[in-house]
Amino acid sequence: MARKRAFIPPIQRVRDGFVFNIGDDERQLVARLLTELSHLLMGESGDPRLIRIFPPAYHLADDAEADAEYQRLMREDLVASRLSGITTVNAALQEPGPVDENTVIAFVQAINGLRLVLGTMLDVVEDHDPDEIDDDDPLAGEHHLYNFLSWLLDWAVRALGEPVTQQET
Amino acid sequence: MATTPVPVEVGETDFDDETVPDRPWIVLVWNDPINLMSYVTFVFQKVFGYSLEKATSLMLDVHEKGRAVVSSGAREKAEIDVFRLHEHGLWATMQQDD
Repeated sequence: MARKRAFIPPIQRVRDGFVFNIGDDERQLVARLLTELSHLLMGESGDPRLIRIFPPAYHLADDAEADAEYQRLMREDLVASRLSGITTVNAALQEPGPVDENTVIAFVQAINGLRLVLGTMLDVVEDHDPDEIDDDDPLAGEHHLYNFLSWLLDWAVRALGEPVTQQET
Repeated sequence: MATTPVPVEVGETDFDDETVPDRPWIVLVWNDPINLMSYVTFVFQKVFGYSLEKATSLMLDVHEKGRAVVSSGAREKAEIDVFRLHEHGLWATMQQDD
């Protein structure tokens, strides 16, 4: 019997939390990328791929000293916060069952962190057209990855924004 | 505690860091080509507890005008807000309001 195949979003709110409707290979891909991100975060602090992960806090030239102080005091906390989020997400990706809202929040932060690094490497500019990928581009793979992560993130944000079902309220 | 009604000469106050304590600090979020509009709206709701309406309107300000003031207050509070926005990967900075 032929059944109409409905589109299933990659992340959905269900009665007891959220589920990732993505395959094992996609789960492993995301987990691997996040592990790479955690290595990057623990590595060289001046790595140019990380500039968007650690933006300045004080942008005025007069506040340069305050910014140096902020970077000195807060950078470690920022790294710790990102690493703990990645640990949460990677553990959740190994489990098929539903995850809680905090895990999905950690997920959107982590996926966005990946996009910031990839977007910096790809030099993504305003009005970037994600569909325009030149397959001869040596970074074509990274462009596809960036689009995949954007798609996942958008659906995760959408799932978080969905109203809680009646049973839960 | 005793008070003396004798006038004392007060020297000019010297603010070493040139910040006037009474002026609030503002937190700005800047437009950037990477962060998704839906994600930025979500972050404003989560970090500040703003309604979907307010968060969307701030996000559109960032997108269309290049930046928006998303919160303001004492320096310590502004710094915490900036940190929380940085945790979410937004391009946030702070300055004393003028």
